Amino acid sequence: MALRELSSLEKYLGLKKPNKYSTQGDKKVPVLQNVNGPPLVGLVTVACHLVREAKRPELLGDCAESRAVVQQWLEYRVTKLDGCTREDVKTILKDLNLYLQDKVYMAGNRFTLADTFMFYGIHPLIVDLAVQEKEQYVNVTRWFDHIQHYPGIRHPLPPVVVLRNKIYSSKHH
Amino acid sequence: MGFGDLKSASGLKVLNGFLSDRSYIEGYVPSQADVAVFDAISAPPTADLSHALRWFNHIKSYQSQKSSLPGVKKPLGQYGPPGVADTTSGSAPAAKEDDDDDIDLFGSDEEEDADAARLKEERLAQYAAKKSKKPALIAKSSILLDVKPWDDETDMSKLEECVRSIQMDGLIWGQSKLVPVGYGIKKLQIGCVVEDDKVGTDILEEHISAFEDFVQSMDVAAFNKI
Repeated sequence: MALRELSSLEKYLGLKKPNKYSTQGDKKVPVLQNVNGPPLVGLVTVACHLVREAKRPELLGDCAESRAVVQQWLEYRVTKLDGCTREDVKTILKDLNLYLQDKVYMAGNRFTLADTFMFYGIHPLIVDLAVQEKEQYVNVTRWFDHIQHYPGIRHPLPPVVVLRNKIYSSKHH
Repeated sequence: MGFGDLKSASGLKVLNGFLSDRSYIEGYVPSQADVAVFDAISAPPTADLSHALRWFNHIKSYQSQKSSLPGVKKPLGQYGPPGVADTTSGSAPAAKEDDDDDIDLFGSDEEEDADAARLKEERLAQYAAKKSKKPALIAKSSILLDVKPWDDETDMSKLEECVRSIQMDGLIWGQSKLVPVGYGIKKLQIGCVVEDDKVGTDILEEHISAFEDFVQSMDVAAFNKI
Protein backbone atom coordinates (compact mmCIF):
# COMPACT_ATOMS: atom_id res chain seq x y z
CA MET A 1 0.00 0.00 0.00
CA ALA A 2 2.62 2.50 1.12
CA LEU A 3 4.83 1.59 -1.82
CA ARG A 4 1.96 2.12 -4.22
CA GLU A 5 1.38 5.56 -2.74
CA LEU A 6 5.01 6.47 -3.17
CA SER A 7 5.15 5.33 -6.76
CA SER A 8 2.03 7.32 -7.66
CA LEU A 9 3.51 10.31 -5.88
CA GLU A 10 6.61 9.89 -8.03
CA LYS A 11 4.41 9.92 -11.11
CA TYR A 12 2.61 13.04 -9.93
CA LEU A 13 5.89 14.81 -9.26
CA GLY A 14 7.17 13.78 -12.64
CA LEU A 15 10.30 12.12 -11.33
CA LYS A 16 11.96 10.34 -14.20
CA LYS A 17 13.88 7.51 -12.62
CA PRO A 18 11.84 5.32 -10.34
CA ASN A 19 13.41 4.73 -6.94
CA LYS A 20 13.92 1.34 -5.40
CA TYR A 21 12.04 0.68 -2.20
CA SER A 22 12.06 -2.09 0.27
CA THR A 23 10.00 -2.67 3.38
CA GLN A 24 10.99 -3.17 6.94
CA GLY A 25 9.37 -4.91 9.88
CA ASP A 26 5.87 -6.22 10.47
CA LYS A 27 4.18 -2.97 9.55
CA LYS A 28 5.92 -2.87 6.17
CA VAL A 29 7.52 0.50 6.72
CA PRO A 30 8.88 1.67 3.36
CA VAL A 31 12.62 2.20 3.07
CA LEU A 32 14.38 4.12 0.32
CA GLN A 33 17.93 3.07 -0.41
CA ASN A 34 19.69 6.36 -0.96
CA VAL A 35 22.75 6.30 -3.18
CA ASN A 36 24.65 9.00 -1.40
CA GLY A 37 23.63 8.72 2.20
CA PRO A 38 21.92 6.54 4.74
CA PRO A 39 18.63 4.86 3.80
CA LEU A 40 15.43 6.82 4.43
CA VAL A 41 12.89 5.07 6.61
CA GLY A 42 9.19 5.83 6.86
CA LEU A 43 6.45 6.96 4.53
CA VAL A 44 6.53 10.65 5.42
CA THR A 45 10.29 10.89 5.37
CA VAL A 46 10.52 9.32 1.94
CA ALA A 47 7.63 11.42 0.59
CA CYS A 48 9.18 14.68 1.82
CA HIS A 49 12.46 13.64 0.27
CA LEU A 50 10.76 13.00 -3.08
CA VAL A 51 9.04 16.38 -2.97
CA ARG A 52 12.33 18.13 -2.29
CA GLU A 53 14.03 16.19 -5.05
CA ALA A 54 11.32 17.27 -7.51
CA LYS A 55 11.81 20.88 -6.38
CA ARG A 56 8.18 21.32 -5.40
CA PRO A 57 8.61 22.78 -1.90
CA GLU A 58 5.17 24.41 -2.05
CA LEU A 59 3.68 20.93 -1.60
CA LEU A 60 5.04 20.97 1.93
CA GLY A 61 3.42 24.31 2.65
CA ASP A 62 4.13 27.84 1.48
CA CYS A 63 4.53 29.52 4.83
CA ALA A 64 5.72 28.47 8.26
CA GLU A 65 2.20 27.91 9.51
CA SER A 66 1.06 25.74 6.65
CA ARG A 67 4.35 23.82 6.74
CA ALA A 68 3.58 22.95 10.34
CA VAL A 69 0.00 21.98 9.47
CA VAL A 70 1.17 19.74 6.63
CA GLN A 71 3.66 17.99 8.87
CA GLN A 72 1.02 17.59 11.53
CA TRP A 73 -1.43 15.91 9.14
CA LEU A 74 1.26 13.70 7.64
CA GLU A 75 2.07 12.56 11.13
CA TYR A 76 -1.61 12.10 11.92
CA ARG A 77 -1.93 9.94 8.84
CA VAL A 78 0.88 7.62 9.86
CA THR A 79 0.19 7.45 13.57
CA LYS A 80 -3.60 7.70 13.81
CA LEU A 81 -5.13 6.79 10.48
CA ASP A 82 -2.98 3.79 9.67
CA GLY A 83 -4.13 0.85 11.69
CA CYS A 84 -7.10 2.58 13.23
CA THR A 85 -9.74 0.33 14.73
CA ARG A 86 -13.38 0.18 13.81
CA GLU A 87 -14.30 2.25 16.85
CA ASP A 88 -11.86 4.99 15.88
CA VAL A 89 -13.38 5.49 12.45
CA LYS A 90 -16.35 7.51 13.68
CA THR A 91 -14.19 9.80 15.79
CA ILE A 92 -11.72 10.32 12.98
CA LEU A 93 -14.41 11.20 10.48
CA LYS A 94 -16.19 13.44 12.94
CA ASP A 95 -13.03 15.36 13.78
CA LEU A 96 -12.03 15.64 10.17
CA ASN A 97 -15.50 16.80 9.20
CA LEU A 98 -15.30 19.59 11.74
CA TYR A 99 -11.79 20.49 10.68
CA LEU A 100 -12.65 20.70 7.00
CA GLN A 101 -15.74 22.81 7.55
CA ASP A 102 -13.91 26.04 6.77
CA LYS A 103 -11.13 24.62 4.62
CA VAL A 104 -10.91 23.58 1.02
CA TYR A 105 -7.62 21.74 1.42
CA MET A 106 -6.06 20.18 4.49
CA ALA A 107 -3.67 23.10 4.85
CA GLY A 108 -6.05 25.91 3.98
CA ASN A 109 -6.12 27.24 0.47
CA ARG A 110 -3.49 25.29 -1.43
CA PHE A 111 -3.08 21.66 -2.38
CA THR A 112 -0.32 20.02 -0.37
CA LEU A 113 1.22 16.66 0.38
CA ALA A 114 -1.13 16.41 3.36
CA ASP A 115 -4.09 16.16 0.98
CA THR A 116 -2.45 13.39 -1.02
CA PHE A 117 -1.60 11.25 1.95
CA MET A 118 -4.74 11.89 3.94
CA PHE A 119 -6.63 10.94 0.79
CA TYR A 120 -4.78 7.64 0.43
CA GLY A 121 -5.18 6.98 4.12
CA ILE A 122 -8.87 7.71 4.37
CA HIS A 123 -9.86 6.03 1.12
CA PRO A 124 -10.48 2.63 2.72
CA LEU A 125 -12.74 4.28 5.31
CA ILE A 126 -14.75 6.23 2.76
CA VAL A 127 -15.27 3.18 0.56
CA ASP A 128 -17.14 1.48 3.39
CA LEU A 129 -19.38 4.41 4.20
CA ALA A 130 -23.09 4.23 3.49
CA VAL A 131 -24.77 6.98 1.53
CA GLN A 132 -26.27 8.38 4.68
CA GLU A 133 -22.92 8.54 6.43
CA LYS A 134 -21.37 10.28 3.45
CA GLU A 135 -24.03 12.90 3.79
CA GLN A 136 -23.45 13.14 7.49
CA TYR A 137 -19.75 13.86 6.97
CA VAL A 138 -20.46 16.27 4.15
CA ASN A 139 -17.24 18.25 4.55
CA VAL A 140 -15.09 15.14 4.41
CA THR A 141 -17.02 13.90 1.40
CA ARG A 142 -16.65 17.21 -0.40
CA TRP A 143 -12.92 17.32 0.26
CA PHE A 144 -12.54 13.67 -0.73
CA ASP A 145 -14.45 14.12 -3.97
CA HIS A 146 -12.39 17.21 -4.69
CA ILE A 147 -9.06 15.44 -4.20
CA GLN A 148 -10.07 12.38 -6.19
CA HIS A 149 -10.84 14.70 -9.10
CA TYR A 150 -7.85 16.95 -8.55
CA PRO A 151 -6.04 17.24 -11.87
CA GLY A 152 -2.69 15.51 -11.99
CA ILE A 153 -3.23 13.19 -9.08
CA ARG A 154 -3.36 9.88 -10.79
CA HIS A 155 -4.00 7.47 -8.03
CA PRO A 156 -4.36 3.74 -8.30
CA LEU A 157 -7.39 3.72 -6.02
CA PRO A 158 -10.86 3.14 -7.42
CA PRO A 159 -13.07 6.24 -7.52
CA VAL A 160 -15.78 6.53 -4.90
CA VAL A 161 -19.19 7.57 -6.08
CA VAL A 162 -20.48 10.69 -4.39
CA LEU A 163 -24.14 11.50 -4.70
CA ARG A 164 -24.99 15.09 -5.40
CA ASN A 165 -28.67 15.01 -4.57
CA LYS A 166 -29.39 14.81 -0.89
CA ILE A 167 -31.56 11.90 0.07
CA TYR A 168 -31.69 12.45 3.79
CA SER A 169 -32.13 16.16 3.27
CA SER A 170 -33.80 16.90 6.56
CA LYS A 171 -30.52 16.27 8.41
CA HIS A 172 -28.84 19.62 8.91
CA HIS A 173 -25.14 20.04 9.23
CA MET B 1 -29.95 28.41 -12.77
CA GLY B 2 -28.74 31.10 -10.42
CA PHE B 3 -28.63 31.92 -6.75
CA GLY B 4 -31.45 34.40 -6.43
CA ASP B 5 -30.26 37.74 -5.15
CA LEU B 6 -26.66 37.22 -4.05
CA LYS B 7 -26.68 40.53 -2.26
CA SER B 8 -29.42 39.35 0.07
CA ALA B 9 -29.34 36.77 2.84
CA SER B 10 -31.58 34.38 0.96
CA GLY B 11 -29.25 34.34 -2.06
CA LEU B 12 -26.26 33.61 0.16
CA LYS B 13 -28.21 30.80 1.73
CA VAL B 14 -28.77 29.22 -1.67
CA LEU B 15 -25.05 29.63 -2.35
CA ASN B 16 -24.24 28.05 0.99
CA GLY B 17 -26.38 25.02 0.22
CA PHE B 18 -24.90 24.75 -3.25
CA LEU B 19 -21.36 24.80 -1.92
CA SER B 20 -21.95 22.34 0.90
CA ASP B 21 -20.73 19.45 -1.20
CA ARG B 22 -18.43 21.15 -3.64
CA SER B 23 -15.31 23.25 -3.37
CA TYR B 24 -15.86 25.45 -6.39
CA ILE B 25 -18.80 26.79 -8.36
CA GLU B 26 -17.76 24.66 -11.32
CA GLY B 27 -15.49 21.67 -11.49
CA TYR B 28 -12.55 20.95 -9.25
CA VAL B 29 -10.30 23.93 -9.83
CA PRO B 30 -10.88 27.65 -9.31
CA SER B 31 -12.20 29.28 -12.47
CA GLN B 32 -13.84 32.40 -13.77
CA ALA B 33 -17.13 30.95 -12.53
CA ASP B 34 -15.88 31.49 -8.99
CA VAL B 35 -14.66 34.98 -9.82
CA ALA B 36 -18.04 35.91 -11.32
CA VAL B 37 -19.96 34.81 -8.24
CA PHE B 38 -17.30 36.22 -5.91
CA ASP B 39 -17.55 39.62 -7.53
CA ALA B 40 -21.31 39.61 -7.19
CA ILE B 41 -21.12 39.25 -3.42
CA SER B 42 -20.78 42.52 -1.58
CA ALA B 43 -19.66 41.31 1.85
CA PRO B 44 -18.25 38.08 3.26
CA PRO B 45 -20.99 35.60 4.20
CA THR B 46 -21.78 35.38 7.87
CA ALA B 47 -20.27 32.67 10.04
CA ASP B 48 -23.40 30.54 10.11
CA LEU B 49 -23.13 30.08 6.34
CA SER B 50 -19.97 28.09 6.83
CA HIS B 51 -19.78 26.59 3.34
CA ALA B 52 -20.19 29.92 1.59
CA LEU B 53 -17.68 31.51 3.95
CA ARG B 54 -15.11 28.78 3.35
CA TRP B 55 -15.48 29.19 -0.40
CA PHE B 56 -15.36 32.99 -0.07
CA ASN B 57 -12.10 32.92 1.86
CA HIS B 58 -10.64 30.38 -0.51
CA ILE B 59 -11.42 32.43 -3.59
CA LYS B 60 -10.17 35.54 -1.83
CA SER B 61 -6.77 33.86 -1.62
CA TYR B 62 -6.71 33.77 -5.42
CA GLN B 63 -7.38 37.50 -5.64
CA SER B 64 -3.97 38.34 -7.11
CA GLN B 65 -4.27 35.77 -9.91
CA LYS B 66 -7.95 36.39 -10.47
CA SER B 67 -7.69 37.25 -14.13
CA SER B 68 -5.47 34.30 -14.98
CA LEU B 69 -7.90 31.67 -13.71
CA PRO B 70 -9.21 29.41 -16.46
CA GLY B 71 -12.65 29.53 -17.97
CA VAL B 72 -14.89 32.21 -19.38
CA LYS B 73 -17.06 34.47 -17.31
CA LYS B 74 -20.74 33.88 -17.88
CA PRO B 75 -23.75 35.71 -16.53
CA LEU B 76 -24.62 34.71 -12.98
CA GLY B 77 -27.76 32.95 -14.15
CA GLN B 78 -25.57 30.26 -15.74
CA TYR B 79 -24.27 29.04 -12.42
CA GLY B 80 -25.76 27.50 -9.37
CA PRO B 81 -28.50 25.04 -8.66
CA PRO B 82 -31.21 24.47 -11.22
CA GLY B 83 -34.61 25.84 -10.40
CA VAL B 84 -33.38 29.08 -8.90
CA ALA B 85 -33.35 32.23 -10.97
CA ASP B 86 -30.73 34.91 -10.76
CA THR B 87 -32.10 38.16 -9.41
CA THR B 88 -28.91 39.82 -8.24
CA SER B 89 -29.33 43.50 -8.88
CA GLY B 90 -27.04 44.92 -11.51
CA SER B 91 -25.59 41.56 -12.44
CA ALA B 92 -27.16 41.21 -15.86
CA PRO B 93 -25.02 42.73 -18.54
CA ALA B 94 -26.64 46.06 -19.28
CA ALA B 95 -28.63 45.28 -22.37
CA LYS B 96 -30.86 48.26 -21.93
CA GLU B 97 -31.83 50.13 -24.99
CA ASP B 98 -30.16 53.42 -25.52
CA ASP B 99 -31.49 56.11 -23.30
CA ASP B 100 -33.10 59.12 -24.79
CA ASP B 101 -29.78 60.87 -25.09
CA ASP B 102 -29.96 60.82 -28.84
CA ILE B 103 -32.04 63.43 -30.47
CA ASP B 104 -34.92 61.63 -32.03
CA LEU B 105 -35.18 63.19 -35.41
CA PHE B 106 -38.39 61.51 -36.36
CA GLY B 107 -40.00 62.10 -33.03
CA SER B 108 -41.34 58.63 -32.44
CA ASP B 109 -44.52 59.28 -30.59
CA GLU B 110 -45.30 57.72 -27.28
CA GLU B 111 -48.24 55.79 -28.61
CA GLU B 112 -45.88 53.48 -30.39
CA ASP B 113 -44.02 52.79 -27.16
CA ALA B 114 -47.26 51.96 -25.44
CA ASP B 115 -48.12 49.61 -28.25
CA ALA B 116 -44.77 47.89 -27.98
CA ALA B 117 -45.14 47.59 -24.23
CA ARG B 118 -48.58 46.08 -24.60
CA LEU B 119 -47.34 43.59 -27.15
CA LYS B 120 -44.49 42.61 -24.87
CA GLU B 121 -46.87 42.13 -21.99
CA GLU B 122 -49.12 39.96 -24.08
CA ARG B 123 -46.24 37.79 -25.16
CA LEU B 124 -45.05 37.42 -21.60
CA ALA B 125 -48.53 36.39 -20.50
CA GLN B 126 -48.68 33.87 -23.32
CA TYR B 127 -45.32 32.49 -22.33
CA ALA B 128 -46.28 32.23 -18.69
CA ALA B 129 -49.49 30.43 -19.58
CA LYS B 130 -47.59 28.00 -21.76
CA LYS B 131 -45.06 27.41 -19.05
CA SER B 132 -47.65 26.73 -16.40
CA LYS B 133 -49.33 24.13 -18.58
CA LYS B 134 -46.16 22.13 -18.81
CA PRO B 135 -46.34 19.58 -16.01
CA ALA B 136 -43.55 20.04 -13.55
CA LEU B 137 -41.48 16.95 -12.98
CA ILE B 138 -42.30 15.58 -9.55
CA ALA B 139 -39.50 13.72 -7.85
CA LYS B 140 -40.77 10.54 -6.26
CA SER B 141 -39.18 7.86 -4.21
CA SER B 142 -40.14 4.36 -3.33
CA ILE B 143 -39.42 3.52 0.27
CA LEU B 144 -39.47 0.15 1.98
CA LEU B 145 -40.07 0.43 5.70
CA ASP B 146 -39.42 -2.06 8.46
CA VAL B 147 -41.80 -1.64 11.35
CA LYS B 148 -40.96 -3.67 14.43
CA PRO B 149 -43.51 -4.56 17.10
CA TRP B 150 -42.78 -4.79 20.81
CA ASP B 151 -43.12 -8.56 21.15
CA ASP B 152 -44.76 -11.62 19.66
CA GLU B 153 -48.07 -10.69 21.25
CA THR B 154 -48.46 -7.47 19.33
CA ASP B 155 -51.40 -7.68 16.96
CA MET B 156 -49.73 -7.31 13.59
CA SER B 157 -52.94 -6.78 11.64
CA LYS B 158 -53.82 -3.95 13.98
CA LEU B 159 -50.34 -2.55 13.54
CA GLU B 160 -50.64 -2.62 9.79
CA GLU B 161 -54.02 -0.95 10.04
CA CYS B 162 -52.48 1.80 12.12
CA VAL B 163 -49.65 2.35 9.67
CA ARG B 164 -51.99 2.42 6.73
CA SER B 165 -54.22 4.89 8.51
CA ILE B 166 -51.54 7.53 8.02
CA GLN B 167 -52.79 9.69 5.23
CA MET B 168 -50.70 12.44 3.75
CA ASP B 169 -50.60 14.42 0.59
CA GLY B 170 -48.10 12.72 -1.72
CA LEU B 171 -48.00 9.45 0.16
CA ILE B 172 -49.27 6.17 -1.29
CA TRP B 173 -49.01 2.94 0.63
CA GLY B 174 -48.02 -0.16 -1.27
CA GLN B 175 -47.76 -3.84 -0.57
CA SER B 176 -46.78 -5.20 2.78
CA LYS B 177 -45.72 -8.50 4.24
CA LEU B 178 -44.74 -9.96 7.57
CA VAL B 179 -41.15 -11.06 7.89
CA PRO B 180 -40.17 -13.36 10.74
CA VAL B 181 -37.40 -11.93 12.89
CA GLY B 182 -37.00 -14.75 15.38
CA TYR B 183 -38.63 -16.11 18.56
CA GLY B 184 -41.99 -15.91 16.85
CA ILE B 185 -41.71 -12.18 16.40
CA LYS B 186 -42.54 -10.81 12.99
CA LYS B 187 -41.86 -7.40 11.61
CA LEU B 188 -44.02 -5.58 9.13
CA GLN B 189 -42.33 -4.74 5.87
CA ILE B 190 -44.38 -2.18 3.99
CA GLY B 191 -43.65 -0.28 0.81
CA CYS B 192 -44.80 3.18 -0.09
CA VAL B 193 -44.32 5.79 -2.78
CA VAL B 194 -43.75 9.37 -1.69
CA GLU B 195 -43.30 12.68 -3.41
CA ASP B 196 -39.95 13.93 -2.23
CA ASP B 197 -41.07 17.49 -1.71
CA LYS B 198 -44.05 16.61 0.41
CA VAL B 199 -43.10 13.58 2.46
CA GLY B 200 -39.76 12.75 4.03
CA THR B 201 -38.62 9.70 5.95
CA ASP B 202 -38.49 11.77 9.10
CA ILE B 203 -42.16 12.67 8.87
CA LEU B 204 -43.05 9.04 8.23
CA GLU B 205 -40.98 7.88 11.15
CA GLU B 206 -42.59 10.46 13.41
CA HIS B 207 -46.07 9.38 12.45
CA ILE B 208 -45.43 5.66 12.62
CA SER B 209 -43.61 5.70 15.91
CA ALA B 210 -46.53 7.70 17.29
CA PHE B 211 -48.42 4.40 17.57
CA GLU B 212 -46.46 3.58 20.69
CA ASP B 213 -48.73 0.76 21.74
CA PHE B 214 -47.77 -1.33 18.73
CA VAL B 215 -44.59 0.03 17.24
CA GLN B 216 -41.26 -0.41 18.90
CA SER B 217 -39.16 1.07 16.15
CA MET B 218 -39.12 1.86 12.47
CA ASP B 219 -36.32 1.64 9.95
CA VAL B 220 -35.92 2.52 6.32
CA ALA B 221 -35.01 -0.78 4.66
CA ALA B 222 -34.66 0.54 1.14
CA PHE B 223 -34.89 3.91 -0.53
CA ASN B 224 -35.05 4.26 -4.29
CA LYS B 225 -35.52 7.28 -6.45
CA ILE B 226 -38.08 6.74 -9.16
